Amino acid sequence: MKIDGTVVRGDHFSGNIAEIRKFAVMSLSWLTVIFVAVWGVCWALGIFIPMCLANSSFDFAAILSEVCKALTPIAAVLVFIPINAMFMVLMERRALALFTRRNGPNRVGPDGALQTAADAVKLLLKEDITPTGADALMFTLAPIIFFAPSIFGALPLLAAVTNNHKLFQIVDLPTGIFYVLAASSVPVVGIVMGGWASNNKYSLMGGLRSAAQAISYEIPLVLSLVTICLLAGTLDVVSIAYQQSGGLLNWNILGGGALIGLNKAIAALVSSSGAPFAEVMNAYYPYGWLSFVGAAVLCMCTVILFGVYLIGACAEINRIPFDLPEAESELVSGYNTEYSGIKFAIFFLAEFTNLFIVSTIAVVMFLGSGDCPLPTWLNPLSYPAVYEPLAKALSPVLSVLINDLHLINPPTFWAALWVIFKTYSLIFFAILVRGTLPRFRIDQLMDFGWKRLIPITLVIFVLVAFARGVINFHV
Amino acid sequence: MFNLIGSAINGVKHALGGLYQVKRGLETVAMHTWREPTTEAYPDKAPELPPHFRGRLALTVNPETGENLCISCRQCERVCPDKCIEITANKSTETNKLELIDFKIDHGLCMFCGLCTEVCPTYCIINTNDFEMADYTRSSLIYDLKKLTLTQEESAYYFAAKEMPLPKPKPAKPAAPAAGAAAAKPAAEAKPTATVSPKPAPESAKAPETTADKPAKEVEKKESPSTDTPSVN
Amino acid sequence: MTIQTKLPEFKTDEMVINLGPQHPATHGVLRLILTLDGEVVKHTEPVLGHLHRAQEWQGQNRTWFQYQALIDRVDYLSGMFTSWALSRAAEVIDGTEVPRRAEFLRVLCAELNRISSHLLWLGTYLIDLGALYGFPFYPFIEREKILTFFEEISGQRMMYNYIRIGGVQRDPKAEWFKKVEEFTKDFPKRVDEWEAIVTENPIFLNRTKGIGVLTKEVAQAYGVTGPTLRASGIDFDLRRFKPYSVYPELKFDVPVYNKDGDTWDRYMARIQEMRQSIEIIKQVLDMIPEGEIMSKKQNAGLRIKAGEGFAAVESPRGILGCYITSNGSDKPYRFRWRNPSFSNLSVLPPLLEERPISDIMAIFGSLDIILPDVDR
Repeated sequence: MKIDGTVVRGDHFSGNIAEIRKFAVMSLSWLTVIFVAVWGVCWALGIFIPMCLANSSFDFAAILSEVCKALTPIAAVLVFIPINAMFMVLMERRALALFTRRNGPNRVGPDGALQTAADAVKLLLKEDITPTGADALMFTLAPIIFFAPSIFGALPLLAAVTNNHKLFQIVDLPTGIFYVLAASSVPVVGIVMGGWASNNKYSLMGGLRSAAQAISYEIPLVLSLVTICLLAGTLDVVSIAYQQSGGLLNWNILGGGALIGLNKAIAALVSSSGAPFAEVMNAYYPYGWLSFVGAAVLCMCTVILFGVYLIGACAEINRIPFDLPEAESELVSGYNTEYSGIKFAIFFLAEFTNLFIVSTIAVVMFLGSGDCPLPTWLNPLSYPAVYEPLAKALSPVLSVLINDLHLINPPTFWAALWVIFKTYSLIFFAILVRGTLPRFRIDQLMDFGWKRLIPITLVIFVLVAFARGVINFHV
Repeated sequence: MFNLIGSAINGVKHALGGLYQVKRGLETVAMHTWREPTTEAYPDKAPELPPHFRGRLALTVNPETGENLCISCRQCERVCPDKCIEITANKSTETNKLELIDFKIDHGLCMFCGLCTEVCPTYCIINTNDFEMADYTRSSLIYDLKKLTLTQEESAYYFAAKEMPLPKPKPAKPAAPAAGAAAAKPAAEAKPTATVSPKPAPESAKAPETTADKPAKEVEKKESPSTDTPSVN
Repeated sequence: MTIQTKLPEFKTDEMVINLGPQHPATHGVLRLILTLDGEVVKHTEPVLGHLHRAQEWQGQNRTWFQYQALIDRVDYLSGMFTSWALSRAAEVIDGTEVPRRAEFLRVLCAELNRISSHLLWLGTYLIDLGALYGFPFYPFIEREKILTFFEEISGQRMMYNYIRIGGVQRDPKAEWFKKVEEFTKDFPKRVDEWEAIVTENPIFLNRTKGIGVLTKEVAQAYGVTGPTLRASGIDFDLRRFKPYSVYPELKFDVPVYNKDGDTWDRYMARIQEMRQSIEIIKQVLDMIPEGEIMSKKQNAGLRIKAGEGFAAVESPRGILGCYITSNGSDKPYRFRWRNPSFSNLSVLPPLLEERPISDIMAIFGSLDIILPDVDR
């Protein structure tokens, strides 16, 4: 073993490039597989089969095609969740390996890319043990109750992340975010059930901790999202996503729309056509400096809200540093101490799916959903001079795919790409946090939730309610 | 009122300080991404072990002639804290010297303390750099003379790596089947590594009893590689 | 931080829970019978002896030469110190003069071993606190380097059997010293990094500041030694209090932390000790003379004169003492170890009273117990 010399920031920049490349290749190929598979299923079920049926003289053709279309969102979620969980576990292990100067799994498949697939097979083949004295029914129900909400909770988000694609409009609810939050508060019941039914003191404590934690952290989590809804004026995730389109300045994380006016004014300045800068500014910020103070307050508030949301979400899904229900060093493995085989696999699957869902909610509610961060006036593709020749050059190839087969829907495609990028960036951040922070203690966790986060969110809620009055949002 | 504002400012300071510390931690962890992994690709790449590594026990042979260096002095057998070494030796009727018949080491019992290698007067028993001894049964962990004896090349490597003095070439003795009493003298002179006082005395007292029972043929077979092994020292 | 434990309206039962011997965080096979009220510990009863191997009895039934190879197992994280304690005790009885080079080599190896032991503690302590996936690997990377040094001079990574009665076993080569020197240059930077991650981290502070306060009086009453004692504000280090070997010639501080004796102080005491050990190693590398390394022949018939003697060294966990009665034969007549872990563990029940479960790990980990050292 050789001793590595002085490591100063930067001088080892190329030291680990091979491992980083492997990580990137692995991630990109997995992501491609996941989203090609999901979109393939959606397209087959929602577009291709109805297209075929439309020409047939079959009696129930119309009904059948409607059924197929209705099943598409659920099929998408069901295909997506297991593959995605496999990828996320692999990504987590590889990323943690990068942070800790290891190689990570590199045996199964090319550079270990199939490791978690093998793990999944192994888990499914394992013996399913129910401990003596356990309440068998509850014990079996617990993982299901834990897992089911993550399927249902994901549905309303589908429309928001695909730029309102018509396949997913069926599950778009006017009270979307409310429904998602309601669904996300169910899993804790599963944890308490599992903890109680295991007939194990550690599990029981894990379950009870989880209940206490979920109740405490649901409040700041919901309050932060409610404040965003207050700014947006709607509970519909698709509307919230649309309001944020048009670049970084429109996103909810920067003032929840308070900077829309600034964005438009700069756009007017750049394009030098339409209304002059001052006029646009006046339309959006009618009270002069008071409006600017209001905008600044809103920006600050929403950034803090984003932080509160991330903390609350971490606690809600039992991620480090809030993984008290399954604290390894204290409660052995908490509520899932006694679980093995497929039941454990379901718990595991649901945990990672929940991580993905809360990241997606963050992206939809704060980070502009499928919106390019570049403001429209900076984005070269938004200028017809750049965009049109490009579209013309590609049209012979793409027109078949886009217009005839409906295989690619450009707005959906770009939106999905951005959502994927943003969501997995947040997940990567969660992994980094997992690699760094120690765990809270249960009473400190409660203190932090009740004495810090809830007052902060309440104050921000009131501030936002006032500050929003001095700015015109969507003229 | 001022108290409240003061505590609020303190709280904000505290929160920002905490956030800064968390950021520092996250940054330090993230910067480790740029450093090479320290993992050793073990099954693909054998680790480089230092020469004095205390691995599997083995018996060296003379790197030049290939004869077994063991003189059956039983020092290792006696010093072993686990009693995992078992030596079977025979007193040759012709040379009146101990002849090694079998050498058994139970690697399932061995704790690799290396004491046997320290007391060996001829640098015969050594710790090799091999540590891959996993097996399916306990009985297969008992290594016999054949399994323990290294080849000439391996012995040469270990003699060089461990910086052990090479065994002196055995004194040329045309009269190999000489009488026992006569052979005892050259042995004492030729002792190359006299680190230990002549201990084998008790063995030589016991050995004659067993010698009578054992057929001489077996002894000859074992010593086949070099006909005149017993006269090493 | 006080925890409200009793609600007058409800009657609640206490729960008895077995923490260990098979538990991820008991560092071996310690069994704690906890009486819990909710999450709050009401009573703790440590059950020892799951790892009892009769080390002292074994010593009386092995020759000196054989037992030297066994004692690394008493405290497997700091084998150099157990060897050193035994050797010093035997040398006291025998009146052996240890060569100067051997003394320097002993100090060098012992300080390296102190670092490696503290590194393992650092990694596992953060695991106890829940930082399971990232940080603990960093100290282990450095520890691996130290173990490689030991492997080169002694042949193994944990059971060194390097310090012998009368000297040390093998003289390292010049390259080995160079490698150690490189390590000493690199190591303080690594410590800075770890401190950047851990020391001021708000969650870590919350988990350790003011938790498990070990007052001077309690520490003295229970015979606590080592960094645990020094964190309580008592400046007691054998290396300075009763200097042995070449320590009087070396300049180093004995970090005494502060004033509270909480877990954070114990953490800082160990971190500072590692830095001090690096300073000692640097000095030793400069000062080490040429010469013999062994003054007593190492063979199966190793004998110590009749008599009795006690010697102690400052191990990473505290005072590691060895009392021997020799009757002049090749076997010791009577052995007795004074293990720091045993006394340090005895202070656990009073520290755990009225603390929540999570603090058990924070406090227990900070005491740095090695179970074989407790049970022998």
